[in-house]
Amino acid sequence: MADQTYFEDVSVGDSIPTLAVTVDPTQMFFFSAATYNGHRIHYDKTWATEVEGYPDILVHGPLQAALLARAVTDWVGADGRLVSYAIQNRASAFPGEELRFVGTVTAKHDADDGGHGLVDLEIHGEKGEAEVLMPGTATVSLPKRG
Amino acid sequence: MKNERRLLKNSTDQRMRVSTEESLIPPQASKLIGTEQARATGIVEKKQFQRWAAAVKDRNPLYFDAGFARAHGYRDVVAPPLYVQYVTLGVTDQATLRPDGTPGGQSGDIPLPHAPRRMAGGETWQFHAPLYDGDVITATRRVDDITEKHGRSGRFVLVTWLAEYRNQDDVIVAEARSSMIARP
Amino acid sequence: MTAETSLIPDEAKAMIGSEAGRASGRVVKQEFQRWAAAVKDRNPLYFDADFARAHGYRDVVMPPMYLSHVTHGVADLDTLRPDGIPGGGGGDLPLPHTPRRMAGGENITWHHPVYDGDELTSVRVIEKIEEKHGRSGDFVLVTSRTSYVNQDGVTVAEAVGSMIARP
Repeated sequence: MADQTYFEDVSVGDSIPTLAVTVDPTQMFFFSAATYNGHRIHYDKTWATEVEGYPDILVHGPLQAALLARAVTDWVGADGRLVSYAIQNRASAFPGEELRFVGTVTAKHDADDGGHGLVDLEIHGEKGEAEVLMPGTATVSLPKRG
Repeated sequence: MKNERRLLKNSTDQRMRVSTEESLIPPQASKLIGTEQARATGIVEKKQFQRWAAAVKDRNPLYFDAGFARAHGYRDVVAPPLYVQYVTLGVTDQATLRPDGTPGGQSGDIPLPHAPRRMAGGETWQFHAPLYDGDVITATRRVDDITEKHGRSGRFVLVTWLAEYRNQDDVIVAEARSSMIARP
Repeated sequence: MTAETSLIPDEAKAMIGSEAGRASGRVVKQEFQRWAAAVKDRNPLYFDADFARAHGYRDVVMPPMYLSHVTHGVADLDTLRPDGIPGGGGGDLPLPHTPRRMAGGENITWHHPVYDGDELTSVRVIEKIEEKHGRSGDFVLVTSRTSYVNQDGVTVAEAVGSMIARP
């Protein structure tokens, strides 16, 4: 987690630190367990390739969504919070591929509460040259230095 | 009222079309719009949400360190925001699973016999209040809309659900709108 | 077997008789029910509170074999061994010549029922580390004794278990 990000220090156009993750089958097993998900396409390579025709087991959409959210929550710090979060499942990812989770500030607003401000972000997960896997947006609340 | 107008609109469209194209949405699907499809309760458990965070390699101390969380205005460690959707999954009897390992016979299934190919669309979340160890969460899911659309690769049905998560004090902690695409 | 060819380094031998691990955990009904479902054990004692009470328990009861999982914690994925087993922590014996792991056997005695909400503390002591000669080669057998005590200081169960470590 980064140090605390403050509302005044953020400008439209700023990028949040990129989160780069290469998922492996062990992580995928733990994520299936943690989400109580028995879907074979995420852990059974024979099923995923021979029955469903994928090149390998598939990285869970919710794992991509969780990693993209983590990129945002790592940036907002302990005194900020995630207010809203929206994503679209666009393309698949497989273990062994480097996935990058990125975000850019698109707007700033004052909140009702004087101690915080709201910041809108464009966010997405991508791989390879810049193939977008998961486009989305988020709104976060950041503390003011006051 | 809104549903009634939509149903009337569909039947008007069907009368005006010269029967070259049957709607992808049968009446038994349209009547589900606005109805509650699922309701479940579960207890937020600290070790479980910490294991979820560990699986995502998210070591945010707000989820693991109670002293740290309290120093930042929370009363205990909090669950990661996206964890709320897993609280009410309950216990699965393996005999009820489909061959691909997904849960079978869910009450949230929409009958769309003319559009059997399914794809997840996306989801939109609003987070209103933190989740703590011991909170009792009730999740309700209702069908928000079912509409036929025309895209580049042809006709499809867009199904939208609205999920609401409330805690033991009936405080709405989070809501999510999610969509599914069904193609012929 | 001479000292140079022993599979058991001195650092491991020095741990015999010492406390190898201590952990606490809360018994959570949904977790032991999910374990029972994974084992396809639909015993109503684990699922139906009225049934359990009609048979002398005060609530649904934890499946006896779920015991050791109560005090398993949260694994940091970056500290796992290459084979995926949790690494580090107090229980990892220094056995560099025998990295392959398998469970040996267990001998468990259950003294009292365990219920949703109970807090268990497990304490594990290494009793023996022996070099053995099997059909598929030499291996190390580590025998440990673990006691499980609840929030009232009652010893609910005790287990003697062994782990096989192969080259």
